[in-house]
Amino acid sequence: MAFQTEFTVIPLSELKACAQARKAEGSRYVQTLAVNTEAGVDIVYSFMLGDRMSNYKLVAVKESDVVPSITDEFLAAFIWENEIHDLFGITFEGISIDFGGKFYNVAVDKPMTVISPAQLAAREKAAKLAAAKAAKEKAGAPAASVDAELEAKLAGMDPEKAAKVRAAMEAKAKKEAARAAEQKGGE
Amino acid sequence: MGKATVIPFGPQHPVLPEPLHLDLVVQDEKVIEAIPQIGFVHRGLEKLVETRDYNQFLYVCERICGICAAGHSIGYAETVERLMGVEIPKRAEYLRVIWHELSRVHSHLLWLGLAADAFGFESMFMHAWRLRERVLDLFEKTTGGRVILSVVKVGGVHRDIDANQMSEIIHVLDGIMADYRKIVDTLLTDYSVKNRTVGVGTLSHEEAFALSMVGPFARASNVNNDVRCLGNGAYGDLSDFQPIMDAQGDCYARVKVRCLEVLQSIEIIKELAAKIPAGEISVNVKGAPAEGAEVCNVLEQPRGECYYYARGNGTKNLERMRIRTPTSQNIAGMVAALKGCDLADVNMVVLTIDPCISCTER
Repeated sequence: MAFQTEFTVIPLSELKACAQARKAEGSRYVQTLAVNTEAGVDIVYSFMLGDRMSNYKLVAVKESDVVPSITDEFLAAFIWENEIHDLFGITFEGISIDFGGKFYNVAVDKPMTVISPAQLAAREKAAKLAAAKAAKEKAGAPAASVDAELEAKLAGMDPEKAAKVRAAMEAKAKKEAARAAEQKGGE
Repeated sequence: MGKATVIPFGPQHPVLPEPLHLDLVVQDEKVIEAIPQIGFVHRGLEKLVETRDYNQFLYVCERICGICAAGHSIGYAETVERLMGVEIPKRAEYLRVIWHELSRVHSHLLWLGLAADAFGFESMFMHAWRLRERVLDLFEKTTGGRVILSVVKVGGVHRDIDANQMSEIIHVLDGIMADYRKIVDTLLTDYSVKNRTVGVGTLSHEEAFALSMVGPFARASNVNNDVRCLGNGAYGDLSDFQPIMDAQGDCYARVKVRCLEVLQSIEIIKELAAKIPAGEISVNVKGAPAEGAEVCNVLEQPRGECYYYARGNGTKNLERMRIRTPTSQNIAGMVAALKGCDLADVNMVVLTIDPCISCTER
């Protein structure tokens, strides 16, 4: 046996049928998780049959959407559906054991959807790096793309640290230019 | 039939070392329904992944639970390695499994002590914990820690076990095995233990499968969800691994499966200690997981299958880290096992499931 995994995107309307099909084929329910994204909340359902883990993904579920509960097929899902409701604010319809929003006593409403400053900074940095990479591919000029990538990296750094890096690079460039001039003079 | 009464059980209860609440609907001393409630000490550790890079988060992950610390660090490290396409040295895989199986021995001995104490078998509690101390001593000698080992890193392990230490591990485990057989034979043949456990909280194979149960709880109902069979890491090099199973599905079967798993783990450690290859114990891991890349991974913790999920965002911080722990998966099974049992047997049913609320409240 070798552990195999796969991720498949399915529409919300097919979730119930998918859970029924997994039950009919003899898969066991593993878990449900949610990921907060800019477009909404991704919900991943995992089932295992033999050595294959199948993950079915609902992409960008909105708070206004109603997700059908799969607890009719797999009772163990009630824990995760209650958890996702309390931590991500997604509504599930027909949970077998429904805590009605009292599963976790959270101080902040929907805490997992709060975008922390650290996460925001990480996303901005990733966007800048992606933009620099795209610019590099588009331009095709190595020197220019290196500069663009470097600028993107510096933009994501602490301004004081970035200024020090810029000063060090300028000093290095001057030193190299002086050395090149000396070599030229000697020849 | 008498009137139905709701009896609150927990979150503070002598049989529960951690907070779990059950609303027991009781009629004539029989439990007709049990409604669970967790979340009293939920820590939101998964959210911390946003402010810790993937190397730092390993230490957070390890602190989810004191009993399953080794397993969580290994499970998390394996997940990040999968995410980044890192292959670790074979020796590191062996070392991880050796520590993980030692951790299973100490976890099951801890449970055996608590269960024996609940039976009223206090001398058994002391014997079990005395043996467990010897496993903790092995942890201390090989890693420097007794509970939080901090020996695993993304890319391998921090410390090696040399030949002398390996011989000492085998020597100590042989000693533990001899003592352990005596106490387990006593436990499994004792009539008062059988009176409390045989035929109590029974779940059939079909029920256990339908309720998606994992770990020894499932294996005691003849459901093999042991992910060590997948052969991940050094488990794939074992000559013949067969999970311990039982078909009875009652409290006694769960006690028996856990008791026998201790002996099995010791055999696994001895086999791997004899086979461990020489070489490096880690590789350098550089860079960051690609944006949108996602993986899942499973690891057989002492209480059952633990599921890990990670998604990258192009930086050193993961976008999402998710840990589905075995106890949370077994709550549906626990509710079913409690249905129909006597009120006096509730503690036996709960204890033989070996719930770890610390993991559940990650």
